[in-house]
Amino acid sequence: MKKRMNGYLLAGLIITCTILVVALIGTFWTPYSPTAMQYGKFQAPTLAHLFGTDHFGRDIFSRVLKGTGTTLFIALLTVGIGAVVGTFIGAVTGYFGGVVDDVLMRFNDALTAFPSILLALLIISLLGPGKKYNVILALGIVFIPSFARVTRTAFASLRDTNYVTSARLMGAGNARILLVHLLPNVLRVLLPAFTIGFNNAVLAEASMSFLGIGVTPPDASLGYMLSEAQGMLKAGPWYAIFTGLTIVLLVFGVGLLGEGMQAAEKGVE
Amino acid sequence: MNKRIFLAWTLSVMLGAFLLSGCANTAAGNAGSADTAAEAAAEKTERAKANEAVVGIAQDFDSLDPHHMTAAGTKEILFNIYEGLMKPNAAGEIVPAVASECEKSEDGKTYTFTLRDGVTFHNGEAVTAEDVVYSINRRRDGKDTAAQLEALSVIDEVQGEGNTVTITLKEASNEFLAHVMNAYIIPADYAELETKPVGTGPFKFVSRAVQDEMVLERFDEYWGEAPGLSKVTFKILENAEGLILGLQSGALDLVAHLSSDQIVQLEEGDFEIEEGSMNLVQALYLNNAVKPFDDVRVRQALSYAIDKQAVIDLAFDGYGIPLGTSMFPSFEKYYDASLTDYYPHDVEKAKELLAEAGYPDGFSMSITVPSNYTPHVNTATVLVEQLKEAGITATVEPVDWGTWLEEVYGNRQFESTITGLTSDNMTARKLLERFGSEVGNNFTNYNNADYDAILAEALQETDDAKQTELYKALEKNLTENAANVYLQDMADLVAVRKGLSGLTFYPIYVLDVSALHWAE
Amino acid sequence: MKYIFKRIGLLLITMILVSFLTFLAFEIVSGDPVRNMLGTDASPAQIEALRQELGLDKPFLSRYVSWLLGFFSGDLGRSFSYKQPVWELISSKLVITLALSLISFALIILVSIPLGVFSYQWVGGPLDGVRTAFNQLCMAVPPFFTGILLSWTFGVILKVFTPGDFPGFAKDPGGSFVHLFFAAICLSIPRIAMTVRMMRSTIVDEMNKAYVRTAISRGNNRWSVLTRHVLKNSLVLVVTFLGQTLAELVAASIVVEQVLGIPGLGRFLVASISHRDYPVVQAIVVILAFWVVLAGTISDIVNRRIDPRLRLGGEDE
Repeated sequence: MKKRMNGYLLAGLIITCTILVVALIGTFWTPYSPTAMQYGKFQAPTLAHLFGTDHFGRDIFSRVLKGTGTTLFIALLTVGIGAVVGTFIGAVTGYFGGVVDDVLMRFNDALTAFPSILLALLIISLLGPGKKYNVILALGIVFIPSFARVTRTAFASLRDTNYVTSARLMGAGNARILLVHLLPNVLRVLLPAFTIGFNNAVLAEASMSFLGIGVTPPDASLGYMLSEAQGMLKAGPWYAIFTGLTIVLLVFGVGLLGEGMQAAEKGVE
Repeated sequence: MNKRIFLAWTLSVMLGAFLLSGCANTAAGNAGSADTAAEAAAEKTERAKANEAVVGIAQDFDSLDPHHMTAAGTKEILFNIYEGLMKPNAAGEIVPAVASECEKSEDGKTYTFTLRDGVTFHNGEAVTAEDVVYSINRRRDGKDTAAQLEALSVIDEVQGEGNTVTITLKEASNEFLAHVMNAYIIPADYAELETKPVGTGPFKFVSRAVQDEMVLERFDEYWGEAPGLSKVTFKILENAEGLILGLQSGALDLVAHLSSDQIVQLEEGDFEIEEGSMNLVQALYLNNAVKPFDDVRVRQALSYAIDKQAVIDLAFDGYGIPLGTSMFPSFEKYYDASLTDYYPHDVEKAKELLAEAGYPDGFSMSITVPSNYTPHVNTATVLVEQLKEAGITATVEPVDWGTWLEEVYGNRQFESTITGLTSDNMTARKLLERFGSEVGNNFTNYNNADYDAILAEALQETDDAKQTELYKALEKNLTENAANVYLQDMADLVAVRKGLSGLTFYPIYVLDVSALHWAE
Repeated sequence: MKYIFKRIGLLLITMILVSFLTFLAFEIVSGDPVRNMLGTDASPAQIEALRQELGLDKPFLSRYVSWLLGFFSGDLGRSFSYKQPVWELISSKLVITLALSLISFALIILVSIPLGVFSYQWVGGPLDGVRTAFNQLCMAVPPFFTGILLSWTFGVILKVFTPGDFPGFAKDPGGSFVHLFFAAICLSIPRIAMTVRMMRSTIVDEMNKAYVRTAISRGNNRWSVLTRHVLKNSLVLVVTFLGQTLAELVAASIVVEQVLGIPGLGRFLVASISHRDYPVVQAIVVILAFWVVLAGTISDIVNRRIDPRLRLGGEDE
């Protein structure tokens, strides 16, 4: 049983690591310049241009390499912001409860109820549009409520356990209890939430780029490329297919990883 | 055990049913496909038989009130519903419309219009002098601020009597007739323009669904030549892909302003591709007030660094006319073709100028583009590449249209931007006046004393030939000082279904559907 | 009953908070509705006058209060751009988006519940790993990518429907349904996968519980235990999950509507944001938010009906 469980983990690790390596290479080296427009418009895939060329005559393979890095970078930071701030809010509300909990959770509800596009657009407008970091910040804030909810439940359920009570009796302060005793336990809940969040972040960034409020063109993320490709299905279907498949593969790999981690944990228990 | 078998059966039946329903759906879908395809073909001939056409447009109308509309895309279509005393024709002349004659006094201050006999509104009522006076006053008296037209403030008084309308000006103006065209004639005190527009044009309004479509019908009592089609539907498809798919599937007969990338997607044989020009000045507009663009050498360096023809080739498949100043060839009288190649593509020269200006290693700049205008975004993408060669690091900042209007056009908070400036009346003035240092919509902050002086003189000048010379001097000034990096007059590619003919291009941004007709 | 009232109270508070935040949002966001209406040629005097006419010169709070009062008396205001009552503009689009969400939801339930129960049978079997992987793969497909692929194959090549040319229910109900059905497929594929995965793990957890083991060891066969007890008990989580899904569907449809050119609320929202047509945006956001909160509330209430234990808990969660 245990062996197969790790099969997901293995497959997930292989796919994700491959993509990570590819993205890392893509940040420093690509076969052609991803922005150079000199390889002929809408060339079908060949050995020289593995994924063909786009409407400007750019090499799509190089663009995908580079774009994967951009997408990964944005998604990781986005989830990072969401997880850190969300966990903090979850800790405060779950552990202390009371009025703070009520007020923050109502805000949390309201934020969750917001169409995420509007929320992101608002934040981007506030920060000034177009900059890569603003997109990250905007999406990060969009991701806070879901992390806050997950961790709040975890903190709340741990609050009254025996060992917390005994730690308190031994004179441990709230900060110590939260950081030393509770956080490591909550991390176990956080890990699957992180993989799901990562995938949602990739898809959210893609949707935002798709609606024209995402990353700037020369830095094209996979989502932006896909939105560009939509208008060119007949002249160059390979553009949409290869970028789309890369997104699918990326999300698939991390999904398997999450599945594997969960299964491994169950196997241990 | 029995139960178990039963359950297994139930589940397999459920699953089977699901799979079957899936298949049935696909089958239904396929049957539907044959139907819709056949329908589309039938519809096409039926539409031709019924003498109707469907035109795809990319954006909704901002207002159906001709005095409130501001979007170019709205003016373009409502041209078919509304008319002024005068109207433009395809040759670029101003010809009588609701008026049949126009007389100008010696001093150029009084215009007397004779109303055309038998012009009626779409609601059946005859056009009276009262309606005309009302319509012109609505655009200038300030009671309805949104309708106010700055250019008509030159009017001192409007009087109507019988079938003549007399307009007295505060001072003589060469361009008055071009401006009075925009005072579209509507019935006096008619309050339902937004929902039930009434005008005097060749087509009358039938219905409209927001973000969906507007239906127009031939106006049988039209004073001029009867339109060829009996019904025209304007279908709004904001997704560019939707327009192409609509053409391919037979749902649309005509779509204007397509990009060369979109044209490639169409089957050959079903459509004629007509090429006109958009009549706009697409440029990399620079904020002349911010560093480093306040230095003329930097602006000139940019002009040398950019290869217009390459932009047109890469982003527009070669469609488009390169420009060198704020004027396009349709305004033949004012256009100075010699300015186009004033700054030939020369990277070395650009680097020299940059070094002279104190930027031997180049600099970084941002290009703000409205993200909903793909051609501008594409242009920006190409420019970034070209500027790289001259050592300039440009980044594209896409913003939504609302932000662009506010930040770039309104507050002038930008470094550079790409947009297309048009003239919605037939005067060259609009393309040049905006670069006067004191002018409210001079969003590029161009500030040149010579320019201001020539501009003031040009606006005062009543002799047409002299004024034209002064306008040309303004164009030259813009080019020499590299006010902006002028790129091109974009091509207007129109896909028209085979059999539908009569499309005419105007020197301004209008889509005249009155001459369209199906071949016998 | 008391609980239901409490939930409805919370719902109201959340809604008011949402509407306030939206209002605040447009106070801060750059972009001026007046400038949008008057275009590039407006003079400062014109801008000021129109601002007064629309009441935008009044203080922020008084505008919000008058909007709120209007809302409770059933008046959503008038659109800036279309000068028509907002409700008239959005009602037809609301129908389309609701139809799309419901079709997707029906698809999710019809496919995922049988598959979820069925997939339990595979647990530990040789195909289980393949199934799990396939499930993950389905989750990884972004709806708009499916949308692009479907519009290409079924729109351009097979011409089953015309992406971008939604016929409308009044004109062609069948065609409209086909159009929405394709959009629903895009929306539901990843969510079907999520539901199946979720059901499978819930059933596995439940089957390992003591009472189930006891029941089985007493000679009851697994299937009858599964259908009689396990399914019922795992329903709580499933209902919560489906409630969440129903809420997410509406928001997720924004992008799919854009890809397939469906004139629904989402597309209208995106257009109205870019035109800064606040009354329309405000109304749509409140409706979407109401949908999200309502779905959550209903699934909570339904859960309490299903599982009496939750009623004794007293706490919210």
